[in-house]
This record gives sequence, C-alpha cells and structure tokens, in this order.
Amino acid sequence: MNGNELSQAIQKCLVVFTEHADELGDLDQALGDGDLGITVSLGAQAAIDALQLLPAESKPTEVVLACAKAFANANPSTMAALVAGALLAGSRVWADTETITPDLVNTFAMAASESISQRGKSQVGDKTILDAMFPAAEALRDIPSGPERLDAAIEAAERGVITSKELQSRRGRASWLQDRSIGLQDPGATAFLRFLQSWKAANSPARTAVS
Amino acid sequence: MKKIINEPQAFVDEFVEGILLAHPTLLKAPGQDRRVLVRADAPVAGKVGIITGGGSGHLPLFKGYVGRGLCDGVAIGNVFSSPSSAQILETTKAVDGGAGVLYLYGNYGGDVFNFDLATDMAELEGIRTMTVLGRDDVASQPKERATDRRGVAGIFFAYKAAGAAAERGDSLDQVAAVAEDIIEHTATMGVGLSPTILPTTGKPSFELADDEMEIGIGIHGEPGIHRGTLETADEIAEHLVERLITDLGTATGDRVAVLVNGLGATPLEELYVLFRRTHQILEGKGITIAKNYVGEYATSLEMAGASISLLLLDDERLALLNAPAESPFFREV
Repeated sequence: MNGNELSQAIQKCLVVFTEHADELGDLDQALGDGDLGITVSLGAQAAIDALQLLPAESKPTEVVLACAKAFANANPSTMAALVAGALLAGSRVWADTETITPDLVNTFAMAASESISQRGKSQVGDKTILDAMFPAAEALRDIPSGPERLDAAIEAAERGVITSKELQSRRGRASWLQDRSIGLQDPGATAFLRFLQSWKAANSPARTAVS
Repeated sequence: MKKIINEPQAFVDEFVEGILLAHPTLLKAPGQDRRVLVRADAPVAGKVGIITGGGSGHLPLFKGYVGRGLCDGVAIGNVFSSPSSAQILETTKAVDGGAGVLYLYGNYGGDVFNFDLATDMAELEGIRTMTVLGRDDVASQPKERATDRRGVAGIFFAYKAAGAAAERGDSLDQVAAVAEDIIEHTATMGVGLSPTILPTTGKPSFELADDEMEIGIGIHGEPGIHRGTLETADEIAEHLVERLITDLGTATGDRVAVLVNGLGATPLEELYVLFRRTHQILEGKGITIAKNYVGEYATSLEMAGASISLLLLDDERLALLNAPAESPFFREV
C-alpha cells in the first residue's frame, strides 16, 4: 500500500467510523465528560478534509501526520491529543518508507499503543483504549499476511472491550466514578474497535467491488 | 471562608483579567483564551521561547515570571489544576520565534501529562520543544529519587537563569542545559503553619492544629516529613538550612543564592527573621551568600508558612542571575 492508497483507505474508513459518533458519545456520557462523540465526528471530518488537500504522491508518513494534526486541532481534548501523539509515534517508525508492509503495520500499531501508554501513564487493565489497542497490535504480529490479520485484530479488540467492562476505570475522569465504573463499557476501547470494524467494512474487497 | 472574591468559578479569569489590565505594556493574551498569556513583544524572532504553566493560586508563580529575561509565556490552569494541552500548545505557538521552545515547569502529574501531550502537538506544528522539570523540593523524595521530587519556589532560579540565557541568544539545547544545571543545584524546603481555603470548594488544603507546624509540606498541602509543635524562627531556619546544605553538599568556601519565600499569609517581617538566621548559619560555615531574594515568589493563596531555597553558585550561574529582567512581579536592573 502506498501513500495515496492509504489516504483513500483512511477516508473511506472515517466516513463509516463517523456513523458511530453518537454511540461513542453516549458511552462517554456515562463514564467520562461526553465529548468523545464530538471529538470523533469533528476529528474524522477534519482528517478527511486534510487528506483531500494532500498531493497524491504523498508518503504514508505524510498521510498519517496530516491526520494527526487535523484530529488534534479539530476538537482539542485529551483524547484527541493522545491519538495525535500515537499517530506521530507510529509515523516515526515508518520514516520515509514508500510502501507499507504488514510488518510496518505491526510496528506502527505497537509504537502507537506504547505512546498512549507512556503519555497517559496507563497499562492494559486500566480500562482505557489500550485494552483494545494492545491486544489488537499483538494479534497482528501473529499472522504474517492476508485478510485474516484484520479479522484477528478486530476479534482481539472486541475481547478487550468486553473484558474491560468488568474492570474499574483507573485513568482520566472515568476514574472519579471508582467502583461505579464497573459494568460500563469503556468509550475509548470501543472507539478503537469501531475504527477497526469501519476499516473492514469500508475497505474489504467485497465492499470495494460493489461501490 | 472569608475571601475578597466574586463568583468562585470566575476567580481565575477575573484575576487574570486584572493582571492584563494592570500590565498592558508587559503582557498580552495573544488569542481569545485569557488562560494563555505571553510577553507583550512575543514572539521574539530568533530567540528560544520559554514557557511555563500550572495551576493558579501560586502568584507570582507562574504568570509573574513572564517578561524580558524570564519566560515568554504561560498556560494557566484552574486553582491547583493543570492547564490543558491545547492551552499549552497555543502558548507554544504564540512564543515560537523560530528557535524552538523550552517547557520549564514544576514536576506534578497533571502538568507533566498535559505538557507532554503538547510536545507531540507542537512537533506536528513543526515546533521543536524540550522539557526541564522543576524538582527542588527535597522533602518530597530522598536524594536518590531526586528526579521524582516536586517543584516549588526554587524554579524561580531556573526561570531567571534560563531566561537570561535565551535573551543572550543561546540555542534551545543550551537554554535547556542551563535550566537543568540550575535545577540540579537547587534545593528547597518549606514549613506550613496554616492551610489555604480553596475558593471553589471552601475547604482547607490540609488540617493542622493551632499550635502545630509541618516541615516539608508541599504547596498544595502534600504531607511533609515532620509535624510537631511550632518552633521559633531560628529553630525552623536551622532545620531547613541544615537539610538543604546536606542535600546540595555545600561546603566551606562555596557561594550560594538564597531565596526566602513566603507562602501567602506570612508577613515579610517574619521572612526577614528567617533570612537573618539563614545568613548566620551559612556565615558560620564559611558559605557566602552572593545573591539573596526575600519575599513572595511562589505562594499557595493564603497558606501561612515559608520556604527556603539554596542555589549553589558558580560564576556562570551568578552572571545569569544578575542579568537584567523585567516582568510584572520581578525586576532585575
């Protein structure tokens, strides 16, 4: 996948992803401050707009950085900044590469997860986006190639979302709820799962063939 | 709670507005958000920008040290709460003169979190940043964990020296190295006598009996290392200075800068009584006070108490302290 193909894939994915904004906003209303829906909808639209302005010969790193900057500025929030930092960390792994291989996707996913872990001082089990991200990044490493990779990542992220429901939030505003957070579904982890599902829905061969 | 305030929620915005109205030739708000203040001539082309920030309630920290020869901008949080990463980024963009920006602020979790996020966003904007944390409170961690210490009044020395280095045209790496050098040679310890009442909650920041003091207490009421019956000024100075000398390894023949800082409700007279004894102790050990500051440099609203900071000096550090500076709350001619 080259930079232009990546840009097209992200744009298609974000259109589908935006359909989940209300669900994410509702989850965040219960557990956080409720602005995740806005962060997602404004951020996704800003990223799409930014990508449409990029030249077709842009490198994958430039595509990711355009998304990061647009997302961070669209609705400045802690979540937006964490995601932008994660994309930045991932893009450092890609450097000047022209073509993204499965290996490079794996190292990107791991670097992005580690960025959020380090910036957010959080680990798997704290009931954050990392509960979906790290398992998905690990699942990718187990499968060298093919469409099964994305399926495995989605499955791992979904397990993370379900398992973390029963955990107590330890980071961010959600941690103020203490044991009342148990049983509620984490909006960050859910957002990551929905992103992967959107990618599949928007970019799987069947859908592309129809559209 | 007796305070001269209006709506508690408006407290921060209203005193910031007052500062801007009082000092229009020195400070400005570059955008819509009054929680972002920069020096009036920012950005200074070709000069390294220095920004700081943190919770409100510590004046003259942090807003008071924005000016020529000091910091270039400040991101302002609510009382005892960090500013947002977006506000820090706004400040960064407003002071960037093309030579990069140093983040210089106290080591507190919320502030570190938001400043770190801002470093990423600044990088996306093409602005290079470096970070140096104030961590001079010797009571907050033992020496072997000095990098985890909290930052208190001693960060003033770092503002002064790094600000002077930036003003003379040092590079970002050099300015950061100056700030780091100062922090490494600065030690502070405080004593608390009575708490501050938070405007929004009406609650005290800590509890202390009428006849008690707490040595080593933090500026938000973080626990210290000794709580006991109130001692005399001389005894308090001895406790604090002994600990600082040990921590810095200061010896006969050394030169130091001394900062005796009031925490908000302690009168200048009492600070001078503390300085008197500090001077006697250091003189007795053959340590010279080459520069001194007595007054309110980092407060905790109306908390009663004081802190003493020592900076071990060499010629370079002293020259940077002596360089000119001008802000609403501090001037060196």
